[in-house]
Amino acid sequence: MKLDPLSIPFRAAESIVRLAWVLVVFVIGSPALGGGVSSVLGLVVTGFVIALGYQLVYYQRFEYELTNDTLDIVSGVISRRDREIPIGRVQNVDISRNVFQRALGVAQINLETAGGSSTEASLRYVSHEEAKRLQSELGRLKRGARDETEEEQPERELFSITSKELSLLGVVGIDLRLLSVVTVLLPVVAPSLREQFADPLLGLAVTAPLAAAGIVAVTAVISGIIAVANYYGFRLARRNDELLYERGLLQRYSGSIPLEKVQVLTISENVIARRLGYASLGVETAGYAPGDAESQSAVPLADRDRVFDLARSVENFEEIAFERPPKRARERYVVRYSLVALIVVGSAFAADTYTGLTFAWYVTVALVPLAVVAAHLKWLNLGYAVQSEYIVLRQGFWTRTITVVPYYRVQTVLDSQTVLQRRRRLATVVVDTAGSSGLTNRQPRALDIDESRAKELRETVADRLQEMVRHRRSERRRARLQSIETGREEAPSESVS
Amino acid sequence: MDERDGDRMRERPFGEDLTPAIRRTDAENRSDASVADIDELIGPPQTLESEIQGVWAIQSAVSAAILGVIAAVAFSVLSVGGPWVGGVLFVVGTIVGIALTILRYRIWTYQVRSDSLYLRRGVVTRVNTVAPYIRIQHVDTRRGPVERVFGLATTVVYTAGSRGADVSIPGLTPERAADLQARLKQLAIAAEGEDAV
Repeated sequence: MKLDPLSIPFRAAESIVRLAWVLVVFVIGSPALGGGVSSVLGLVVTGFVIALGYQLVYYQRFEYELTNDTLDIVSGVISRRDREIPIGRVQNVDISRNVFQRALGVAQINLETAGGSSTEASLRYVSHEEAKRLQSELGRLKRGARDETEEEQPERELFSITSKELSLLGVVGIDLRLLSVVTVLLPVVAPSLREQFADPLLGLAVTAPLAAAGIVAVTAVISGIIAVANYYGFRLARRNDELLYERGLLQRYSGSIPLEKVQVLTISENVIARRLGYASLGVETAGYAPGDAESQSAVPLADRDRVFDLARSVENFEEIAFERPPKRARERYVVRYSLVALIVVGSAFAADTYTGLTFAWYVTVALVPLAVVAAHLKWLNLGYAVQSEYIVLRQGFWTRTITVVPYYRVQTVLDSQTVLQRRRRLATVVVDTAGSSGLTNRQPRALDIDESRAKELRETVADRLQEMVRHRRSERRRARLQSIETGREEAPSESVS
Repeated sequence: MDERDGDRMRERPFGEDLTPAIRRTDAENRSDASVADIDELIGPPQTLESEIQGVWAIQSAVSAAILGVIAAVAFSVLSVGGPWVGGVLFVVGTIVGIALTILRYRIWTYQVRSDSLYLRRGVVTRVNTVAPYIRIQHVDTRRGPVERVFGLATTVVYTAGSRGADVSIPGLTPERAADLQARLKQLAIAAEGEDAV
């Protein structure tokens, strides 16, 4: 099969846009050219024609085919690549269409497998119908590889976002990264305000809260717009053993997440969402490259109970009864945060005494009691629960994350103890899976639990993994025997499950 | 199709021409033979070769030297101190590095257990890792230039986990490393790495 012919001009235009900055530099850098608009236009047209030629060759030399058990892609203009992806190994199938692609009726389709760091197959671009066909065909073939008798079930809608939830998402989903961007702009605005006050302390006292409020408001508006653009018309459905999602206002995304490839479930609620009784659900598979966290969000925001119901429909974990770390862990945080607070107080004092700036440094003393409160809150939100098939971990105050890890998905398990933890007989257990967000600091872990409990937990997780593997294997064996008895040939189940 | 499979099974129950799915059906029978093997493969906790201390000491001396040079340059520009600060840093860094090296060597142990590889390491942060054999993707043996000088090798166990090559055992003689690699390979096969992800 070939790509959609419209992809030739589209890709050419894309590469021109991508090279636009080179053109800008070129034009600005050589005023001698002087031609102004006409010369720029000339350059653009020449570039477009060259790109068009290249993309035409690319189009002619790009061929893909979906067979019964592989997706074959032969591509490359100068260096050729022949790639075969076994369908059983495909993790996620994602379709995305931005405004222009929608106007042309084309779509980009991406395939993820567990191997490799980038997207394994990307078809840019095929017609939207073809993308849809590929997605459902891949789903059907994957099912077929397991069980032929299973009928294609109709899509069952699990969740669709209401406009109330969507507008809440803007408020709840304040992106802290944006906060820092907005904060950078502050020094530009602040001095002009502060100059109107004679006393610098008074000036600060007035401008600081104003500025803070301004930062939060601007950030909320921006992240609200981003959230609405990203999750407009969000819809989650289930067909057989796949989750299907759709979202986006300007750029439309739709994709499938095979349930049997799910590694870890995360339920996160930030401070605001917690107060309002909302939460979001994340589904991690091994397919995505680290950093694609955005695309893994299964439910951006919904009622807390609803999120738990949805999570249970994916992984049937029991009612969670969290165990908190011992109280001496909290002492650790009190010491840690108090030290930070004292350093701040100390440097404020030093700045007041040794530099020309004079200000009310003693205001920072208020941080010390705050440190105690922070320590308590950190401790309060920690927890772990050992269930028969899952280990559930909880951490974080600003964004509380509950991670549900099936023992079956555990890759390695370790317990670690820093010098300071050893003094208080505490240890941290880290449960590593093939889920892709592991590279960030949010690894599933039980922080600061009793050291003997940590050792026990480490061995328990490792033992339960063996148990679960044995269990699954005997189940598969039984299914296999049954299928032999009933005289039905079944393809061997693939290894990456 | 299944009729023929059935015949084949009767003739040669564990024949090599059977499809993997059918072989798995008799995994229990088959593993009878490998159980004895597994007992031979596993062992008590092992320590590293003492030469590894040389490798680590050199590595820490090199980083101390880099730190020293940076400090020397920085302090010769600044008004306080002088290039001698770099020298002091180098000496102190090397001494601390050697002390840590000795402790690190004493703590480092690994054990080939019946269903997982167990590592214990770390001076400042003590880490105990359990890597189940069913999760092993592949096993490498690596020899860096300094390691080669000391006649040592490192065995690295890869899992699909996000921690990458977190499971590596340094300070083995090449023979020991090759032996460990072979043993882990056999254990991984015995554990049937069907469920790697």
